[in-house]
Parts: sequence; C-alpha cells; structure tokens
Amino acid sequence: MDTIVAVSTPPGRSAIAVVRLSGPQSLAILRVLVQEEQFAPEPNRVTLKKLLAESSPDLIDEALVTYFQSPHSFTGEDMVEISCHGSPVILRQLIDLIQCQEARLAEPGEFTLRACRNGKMNLSQAEAIRDLINAQTQAAAAQAKRQLRGELSEALQPSKQELIRVIVTLESAVEFVEDDLPAVQVKEMSKVLGRVTSHLARLAETYQAGRLLREGLRVTIVGRPNVGKSSLFNKLVRTERAIVTDIAGTTRDSLTEATSLQGIPVSLTDTAGFREAGDKIEAIGIERTRRAMADADLLIVVVDGSCSLQDEDVEVLKEAREHSFIIAISKGDLPRVLTLDGQLNGTEVVHVSAMTGEGVPDLTAAILKPFGSDSGSVDLLITDSRHYDLLTRARSNLERASRSMAQSAGEEIVLADLHNALKLLGAITGETTSEDILSEIFATFCIGK
Amino acid sequence: MAFDEAFDVLVIGGGHAGCEAASASARLGASTALVTLNLDLIGQMSCNPAVGGIAKGHLVREIDALGGIMARVIDRTGIQFRLLNRSRGPAVQSPRAQADRALYRLEMRTTLENTPNLSLRQGMVMDLLIANKRVRGVVMQDGRSISASAIVIAAGTFLNGLIHTGRQTYTAGRAGEPASIELAAALKRLGFPVGRLKTGTPPRLDGRTINWDAFQSQQADERPVAFSFSTDKIEQPQIDCYIGYTTADVHEAIRKNLHESPLYSGQIKGVGPRYCPSIEDKVVKFADKDRHQLFLEPEGHDTNEVYLNGFSTSLPPGLQQELVRMIPGLGAANIIRPGYAIEYDYVDPRELGPDLQVRSIAGLFHAGQINGTTGYEEAACQGLLAGINAALMVQGRPHFGLRRDESYIGVLVDDLITQGVDEPYRIFTSRAEYRLALRHDNADERLSKYGREIGLVGDGEWERFNQRRDRIARIKGSLETTRIRKSDSAYAALSEKTALNGIDSLTLADLAKRPGISSSIILQLIPLESRASASLEEVEFALADNLYSGYIKSQESVIHRLHAHDTLPIPTGLDFRTLNGLSHEMAERLQRAKPVTFGAARRIPGLTPAALATLLVNVSTAS
Repeated sequence: MDTIVAVSTPPGRSAIAVVRLSGPQSLAILRVLVQEEQFAPEPNRVTLKKLLAESSPDLIDEALVTYFQSPHSFTGEDMVEISCHGSPVILRQLIDLIQCQEARLAEPGEFTLRACRNGKMNLSQAEAIRDLINAQTQAAAAQAKRQLRGELSEALQPSKQELIRVIVTLESAVEFVEDDLPAVQVKEMSKVLGRVTSHLARLAETYQAGRLLREGLRVTIVGRPNVGKSSLFNKLVRTERAIVTDIAGTTRDSLTEATSLQGIPVSLTDTAGFREAGDKIEAIGIERTRRAMADADLLIVVVDGSCSLQDEDVEVLKEAREHSFIIAISKGDLPRVLTLDGQLNGTEVVHVSAMTGEGVPDLTAAILKPFGSDSGSVDLLITDSRHYDLLTRARSNLERASRSMAQSAGEEIVLADLHNALKLLGAITGETTSEDILSEIFATFCIGK
Repeated sequence: MAFDEAFDVLVIGGGHAGCEAASASARLGASTALVTLNLDLIGQMSCNPAVGGIAKGHLVREIDALGGIMARVIDRTGIQFRLLNRSRGPAVQSPRAQADRALYRLEMRTTLENTPNLSLRQGMVMDLLIANKRVRGVVMQDGRSISASAIVIAAGTFLNGLIHTGRQTYTAGRAGEPASIELAAALKRLGFPVGRLKTGTPPRLDGRTINWDAFQSQQADERPVAFSFSTDKIEQPQIDCYIGYTTADVHEAIRKNLHESPLYSGQIKGVGPRYCPSIEDKVVKFADKDRHQLFLEPEGHDTNEVYLNGFSTSLPPGLQQELVRMIPGLGAANIIRPGYAIEYDYVDPRELGPDLQVRSIAGLFHAGQINGTTGYEEAACQGLLAGINAALMVQGRPHFGLRRDESYIGVLVDDLITQGVDEPYRIFTSRAEYRLALRHDNADERLSKYGREIGLVGDGEWERFNQRRDRIARIKGSLETTRIRKSDSAYAALSEKTALNGIDSLTLADLAKRPGISSSIILQLIPLESRASASLEEVEFALADNLYSGYIKSQESVIHRLHAHDTLPIPTGLDFRTLNGLSHEMAERLQRAKPVTFGAARRIPGLTPAALATLLVNVSTAS
C-alpha cells in the first residue's frame, strides 16, 4: 500500500488547515519535514514542530503534528496529521514537499476506503460513506460536464492521439516482426514525442494560475510612506475604503478588501509604509506589512513618480525581490521626475495615476498577466491538483522515453514509459485499453501471414 | 444408468488443448480418457505447421515450466527453429519453430500412449449427461456411455463446423473430417450463450511444381533456442523456408472476383481474426499496398507438400489455382489442398471461472477454440489449465489459477473470462501490462514452483531447474561484485567498444548497460569460478534481469497507483443486483461478467467510476 496525502480542510484561506498522511511512509515523511531523522513522536500526542523546506533551513510553518500508529488510526494505517496555518502558500509548499517524498495525492474518498478495508468501519457506517463517495463522484462528474474536465480532456486529445500513434508504431515493430511493415522512423517519432511533452508541460504550467483562479489572487501593495499606496488601493477596490491624507504614515495597519478584477477574485491588501519605525504602533504596523508580503501571491511596489528614487524605495525593492512583484510608478498626474521605463530585470513597470485613473487598466493587466490571453496558446487552466500531478508524471515518463529512444534502447523499454504516460493521461481522459491499441494497429498496418 | 466405462476425467477432443488436458490430468493421478474422432489425427496441426512466435512462444515455455508437453514435442519434431526479435530486447524475443506436421502428430500420440492412467478412445460424443448441476458422463454416437466426474470440452472448430469455399458450403470439423453437430446442440440446450467465429487456411502446394529460385530463402538459427527447459539439443535436421510476394495483378484479379468470396457475399456470418486476414481482406482493406508477403513453408522432411502462408482464402478452388499461378515463382504450381474458411460455435468464456470451469455446472471445463481463442499455443495452455483443474477437482484439491503479473497464461485467461471475445482471441505481448517481467527465458523461474507443487514437474526437471537457478544467481552475483578497473588489461579494449570516459572502475552490471557491450563480452569478463558452468544463454538471462529491474519497479508503481485495489477478492456468488447504489445497468454488466476480483471488475467495459467506487466500498467492507 502506498502513502497518500490530502488537505482535509476545505480549500481556500482559513486560520488552521489540516494535512493528513496515511500509509507506511507517513512517519518517515514527517521526519523529513521536521528534518529530524530520529524524530519519534509518542502516538496520539500533539507536538509543536517547525516544518522546514527540504535540505534547507527555510521555515515553512510552525505546526502541530500528531502521529497515529497503525492500527490505532482512522484508516487503520500509520497516519500523520499536521495542523498548520491555513494559508494557501504554506499548504502549497507543504503538499509539494510531501509529494516529493514517497507519497501521492489521495483520490476522492480514499481515506475512507482505506478505513473500510482495514475494518475500521462497520457496514452501516460504510453505507453512509458510500453515499458520500457517490456524492463526490457525482460532483466530479458534474464539474466535468460543466467545463473543466471535459475541456481538459478535449485539450489532451490531440496529444493523446499522437502518443497512441507512436505506441502503435513501436508495438507493431515488436509484435509483428514477420510482417512486411514499414521501418520505424525514430527521428520522426522523437519529434512527435517532443511535441507531446511540451504540450503537457504547457498545460501543467497553467496550474499555478489555475490554482490562483480558484483560490483567489492575494495582492499586497507595499512601498515607503506617502507614495500613494492607499489611493491606488481605493482605486482598485473602487471605494474610498482606505483613509488618504498627505501625511506620511497615515496607514498604520494592513487593510484587506476583496474585489474582482475582470472577473478574477482578488484579495487586495493595503499596508503601512516601510520606514524606520517612529513609535511602537508603527513598528507593529510594519511587522504586519512583512507578514502580508509573505502571504501574498503578488506584490505591487509603489514608488512616487514625482520625485527621484529614495533609499527607502530601494529598501522596499530589496525586500520585494524575495517575492513576485510588479512596480507601480504613482502620481502620474504630477510632472514626472522618476523614469524606470519598460521592464526592469524582467519586472513589469506600470505608470499610474490614482487621481485620473490613467494607467489603471495597464496595472490591472499586469496583475492578471498569469491569466492573460497573451500568456501563450494555452487558454485552459489546470485547477485540480490531481490533474497537475497526473500531467507532471506523464510528462516525466515521456521525457524518460525520449531519453531512452535517443540512447537506442529497446522498443519495449521506450514503450514501458509511453504506456505509463498513456495510463496517467487516461486517468483524465478515460482509459485506452490494450484492445484499443491493437485495433489501431490492425487498422493501420496489414498484419498477418 | 449403467455406464460402459468409468473415468475420473474425460477429455473431448485430441487437438492441442485436449492433448495437454488429458496428459496433465492423467499424470496428476486421475484416471483419464481422451475421446477423439480419429486416433490417427491426435495433435494434428489444422493450419500453419508451426509453434511459437511473439508471445505465443512465451505461452509454450510457460506450458513447459508448469509441466505440460507441447514444448517437448515441438523440440523433437521442429524442422526450423528461429528466435524472433533476436535483435530486440530480451522481453520481446520469442522462439518459433516450424514443425514436421506428420512427425509432430506421431510424437504427440506416442507421448499420450505412454502416459499412465490415460486411455485413448475413438468416437464422437453426442451428448453430455448432467444431473443436479454436475457432470455425470457422456453418450457416444455408437451408443456407448462413459461416466466421468469432470469433462473437458476441447472440440476446436468441430463444434457445428461449416466449411466455405466459394459458394459451396458443407459441414465439417476440418477438411475431410465430420463436424460435431450434436454436441454443439447439447451445449445450446444447456442454455450457454453461443456465438459464431470464423477462421481460414491457405492452399497447400506441390513442392515439385514450385520454382524455388524465384524466392528468397530464410534460414534456421545457427544456435536454435529450444522451447523446453529440459531439452539439451535440437536433433532434427533444419530446413529453409522461402519468402515471396503477391503482385498488383493478383490483387486486381481478386478484386474482380470478390463476388465469389463467401466473406464478401454475406454468406459467412462468423467474425474472423483481424490479425490473420484472408488475402481477400488484405487486398480490400489495404488497397494501396502493391504487394503482400508470402511464406513457403515445407510441411516436413518426407513430403512435397508446401504451406502457402499469407494466402488464406475461401475463394472457389478453381479460382485459387488461377490466382496462385499469377504469383511470381508459382507459374506452374499445383494446389494439392485448396484453402477454405470455416465457421464454428464458441461459448461465451465469461461463463468460466479462472480455473476454466463453467460456473453453472460443476465439473464441466472448456478449453481452446470453444472459448473463442485461436492458435495452438493458446489452446494448449488452456488445455493444461483445464486438465490440471479437472484432476484437482476430482481429488478434492483447491483449484489452480495464474495471475496477470506472473504469466501470459494468466493474462489470456483473465482477458477471456472478464472481457469475453468478439473475434478469435490471440495472445500479444502488448496485452501483458507486466511485459518486461514476463520473458520467455524466465518462465521456469516464474512458474516451475507451481508445476512442482501441483505434481507435474518431476524430480529430474526440478533438480535441473534448481541448478540453473543457482548458476544464474552466481552470475548475477559476479555482475554486481566484479569491477573493471582502469588498471585492468581489459580496460583499454573495452573503451574502444564503448565510451568509458576515463571512469576509474565500474561493475560488470553497469558495464553491460552501455551501448556496444554484448553478452559474450560480459561472459569473458566473469571470473572463472562463476563462468565455468555458465552458458551464454544464462548470462543473457542475468543481464536481462539487470536491464529491466529499474523499469519493472517504476512500472509497478504506476500500475500499483492506478490499480491499487485490483487483487481485492469479490465473494463468489455475490449478486450484484443486491448492492445498494448500483444502477440497474451497472449491476447487469457486473452480473454478466461475474468478476472474481476488483481488478477484473475494473476491466469490464462500460462500468462508470461511480459504479466502481460503490463496488469497491461494498467489497472492501465485506472482506
């Protein structure tokens, strides 16, 4: 039995989120997370531990971890529960890290299934759970009908067909050696595989954007005091939500407002300006700014366009470099002194005036760039982490197949990876059976003595 | 009722399935009778005089590892041995041998005649005697009755056989032999779902009338690979086969005469195999091909008869003769037996359990073409399994089955009993998810232990197997522990064959994975104490394990991920219609297929994920 992982709390932002692992590797994975090879938690006891990024001292979160020893757990297997802060950023990091270990994302209802299998539930309990699984499956089916799965499946069809074509050619060469078949064109096939691989890669890359689409994009406005952060904030949320004065340091606490930009949910945070703290309240405000920065998917660094770049601006930009950020040059209605035209080391720079609204559409476009139609040929966004997982694994199988082919490995070895890739894609698009492949062979080639 | 004779196990049919079934059952100690229409035609090859081929060769070696007889018989009577795919990876290599048709038949008969507990009886079975859902015996055409606790039906194309040549049709089991009409009717009376399949065979030519120079010869292997793990040497003198081609003129002539073909006039209702198409089919479906390959296969040392492989046809015999003479090199060739198509009955194999026993009647087993398969090897392995299980049942021992991940036989049986068939079923390597692990040369490692447990593998073979296993283990050990160092004299020579990039040292196992390094090079590098008793073939075995180990592991993890619950058993006799939450349609599909594991259920076409989830929860809880 392999080890599975899932976020057990509902998706989105919350105070606390629970990540559960079940399976023989659970404890070993926890040891990796806390970077303590000998960590031997007493079963059923909650421990406060620091979770660290793999082989680095970077803190992901401080969390409550509990180990349940088989058979005394919900599923009857070894289990670990991690209660961490409910930030999508943290959860994303954590799940990615766990998946790099010997664990995979659980299928819907899989924890319950394991509980049933291990006799942790009686028949009547299972009846209730079965309805739950049905409901989940139906919800998944409904979602598929609605759009995503259907669309994704459709988007994958051309790649899948190309993959099947390569498989058919190689299988025929292996299976019908005595038939008078055309020689296998290795070059042509590597080209096709390359095409399929990059298509899967492009689709998988949209996951980041897709996840933001579902969970909402968290954007934080930062900058030194009095550059016009709050004015910009008000303009973007389309209300006079933040108090705006010309006194530097008016905003003392972070302020968050939900809005939507071109239909995409955005949670926008205005923050206290960055500078040497003058008093205790300001110091707390700046600390909160740092936290809001850490939790953001995107920062807007505001600099005042009506004067030259200040040391404090440079400080802010330095801090922002740790995150993804864009630069808004504010006060476009005043005579421009500062020029940072175009792109700055690949960073988007937008001129904007909160007063006249000039440049706001440009800023909106810059914020939404990951979703934009200019981001490439893929309009479809992957939102389901399971799909992402499947696409990524299919892609790595295809890459290995291409490498084997380049090294003139046997067809059966190349095919092992190609079949794996096809199976993984099949979990999205529906399975291709060996019978389907054979049918394709007989339709393509004249087989048989 | 008083019976004329009584046996534990009775096998109907003396073809490739029947022979294996009777031999296995008798050797397991069950008193066994083999009833066949003509004792002189036991082990007759109705079609192509050859055994093996890709995937089929795997089946034969598995039969041998379990203790069956086909491999030994072909090893003694094969006149052209070739290991197919020799230039490809070891997992897809497979032995094939052309047989001397008459010698094969005689050798098989001798083998059966010398089997203790086995009685041969000539006659035609007319009816099955069944009481209380349990077989009792059979009634024969001549009035005799024979009692048996288990019956294996292996009647081949004889079940309601109907031969077509042009517009002519006549009932027959094979050209010149009567069909089993009454037995087919008896199966229908028992209520089995019966369908029709079709197969065909090409004309046989008089070898003296062939211009052999017009064909390209194909030689036997210099180092023949035997089918049986207990064969030391292939003794039969080896012959050449010949390759030629049809021409566009031949195709045109066929197209003009399609109205004469029972396949295209609608006269044939049965479904034929797509991978063994008639020449009519090839010409119509692949109209852009201007030639089709033909093999001229001599049928034996002491005959002029030549099998025209690739030219299967049911056109009228006169037309066949004209067409043959249009083929380059066959301008003066005479047909001595025309080709024909034959339709026959089969019973839906989804009626069977993994032991090949009909689920609804205790003691009734089906093997071979009755289950919708085609091919001698496919038939033989089913016969072996059915014969084993018939004897085990009579002796009150638990039944024997094989899994998909350990054998091609397991793949074949599982496909049959869960998917059913809609055309004659042939084995292919691509049907096996675990192809890399199922090599022809490791069939003994996979299956001999079962043959031994059951009682078909004797002391001698078992000892032989263990010695071979030990030798291979020693070779594997040397591959891991022997290092080639820069200071070794062999290093320089090796770096001319493959890029060593100045590596200080590497194991033989790593060296073997590099391009340009053959198994014979490795053999020379193995230390003397391990090399002394090892053959090149055993080194190849060890290297194949070495080559695939990583892939097998990662492939298993993907398959495991997706099919984690496949081995979960489904209780026998479970009525799927009583499960809550299954739609009527899904319950019916399951009820029809009667899967015995969750994996079998998953492979039933048309089941929705929701239905599978419901089933999974139900059976998980039940177990």
